[in-house]
Amino acid sequence: MKVKKFLLIILFIFIINIQNLLAEDDKMIKGLEIFNEVAGCAACHTLKAAGAEANIGPNLDTVNLTEALVKDMVTYGLGVMPAYGEEGILTKEEIDIVSFYVANSSGK
Amino acid sequence: MKKSEQKLNINRRSFLTGTATLAGLAATASVVPITIVNANHTAGEKGLPDFISWKNRDALIVHSDKGIETHRSAIGESLITPNRNVYIRNNMPTMTDAQIGDRNNWKVSIQGVKNPKTFSLAQLKKLGHTTIATILQCSGNGRGFFEHKVRGSQWETGAAACVFWTGVPVQAVVEACGGIDREAVFMTSAGVDHEPTGLDPKKAMIERSVPKKVYKDAILAWEMNGVPLPNAHGGPLRMVTPGYFGINNVKHLGKVAFTKKESSVKYMKKSYRISPIGKKGSQYPSAWEMPVKSWVTRPTDETGTVKAGKVQIVGVAMGGTRKVRSVQVSVDSGKSWKRAKFVGPDLGKYAWRQFAIETTLSPGTYNIASLASNGPDKQPELRMENRRGYAHNGWKDHSVYVTVV
Repeated sequence: MKVKKFLLIILFIFIINIQNLLAEDDKMIKGLEIFNEVAGCAACHTLKAAGAEANIGPNLDTVNLTEALVKDMVTYGLGVMPAYGEEGILTKEEIDIVSFYVANSSGK
Repeated sequence: MKKSEQKLNINRRSFLTGTATLAGLAATASVVPITIVNANHTAGEKGLPDFISWKNRDALIVHSDKGIETHRSAIGESLITPNRNVYIRNNMPTMTDAQIGDRNNWKVSIQGVKNPKTFSLAQLKKLGHTTIATILQCSGNGRGFFEHKVRGSQWETGAAACVFWTGVPVQAVVEACGGIDREAVFMTSAGVDHEPTGLDPKKAMIERSVPKKVYKDAILAWEMNGVPLPNAHGGPLRMVTPGYFGINNVKHLGKVAFTKKESSVKYMKKSYRISPIGKKGSQYPSAWEMPVKSWVTRPTDETGTVKAGKVQIVGVAMGGTRKVRSVQVSVDSGKSWKRAKFVGPDLGKYAWRQFAIETTLSPGTYNIASLASNGPDKQPELRMENRRGYAHNGWKDHSVYVTVV
């Protein structure tokens, strides 16, 4: 009985992890699309994972990034970088996705 | 298949590999952690971006390829900061030799004068010649000490340098143009480094207005510490506005205009405004005059423990737009202060002075602070809280903790 219960718990954890993996994989796909085609981040930044090689803003492979930091920068902008959130260029959901993507692609 | 899709597949594999490896470890917490690999510099032998591969890597902290700070302990051992140690803060990409072309043929237009003219660098060199020492300091130097989350490079003390500039006084250029328009209120300088980017000039052009009076001490510089002005520092020509924050010392200078109104570009109207936390707008003061400031450069927490006995405390002090008059040093968090001596030559009110004081320290931990005065103004204890973390000159945050053994 105990073994069955243990196996059920393991199965449950496995399913949750698979779901998380799939959800995160989907975010990475959408994030790349936003980065390269919707927001046009690739026009100004280098990010090897996205095939971006521009040199106007900081090289995103060489900056210490967290998801929260990227979200903040994308929302409020800095210098020549537009405030994608404040100016309504991207939705909150799009900002969340592209921030997740950049933070998890940096340096890869 | 589109390029982005090709890249995604490569990325997906590494992404999934990373998560799958860690999934087992995380199973008990039901979360899937993702490892983020961060390098703090561009790949390369010295770990510096290509355009500044000639810099001294050991003296520098790399925040990004556009923001590179000098270590606290790499400033102050001599009065002038060597070019190899000078910080980098670029809003636009550094122009290349190919984009600049023949340096002597670089053009700058002078407007808002009786006879507007365009001069080549070779022609400027015939108008006059001078050398001055000034402090180049980013408006956000000290931002790293602010406790609210401020976007931008987290500078502590090293977005500052004391530099010899050689060039032509703006006054001589103005005289060659018949004098300034009577109605002018500002001197407005514009760089051309946005041009290769193709971005909207209103958003990307570095055009900065400063009060007209600044022209009297300003120079158009083509040399930095005795060598042709490096591209990374705005070569072949930059505006030098003594006593004013770095952003006003416009790089890759293409225009100087004496204007009735401030520039309307983003970098003047919106950026570099010193506003309260949570507020912004052009009604707030621009980052212009630098305040009085000092900091200790030796000993520091960067250089390890200090041997008990006689200790030399060394640092740099600046008066902003006035001559720095005195520096006091404390080893007990500001409970007591002793006056330090200025050492080395006085290079004028826009350069910093080195200070030194000998003290005897027994084993223990000390909080060493310095407090400079330019006469009317002295450093406050605390920072002036502001949204973007500009103009920090509070002595407390700039103090260092040192262990004596």
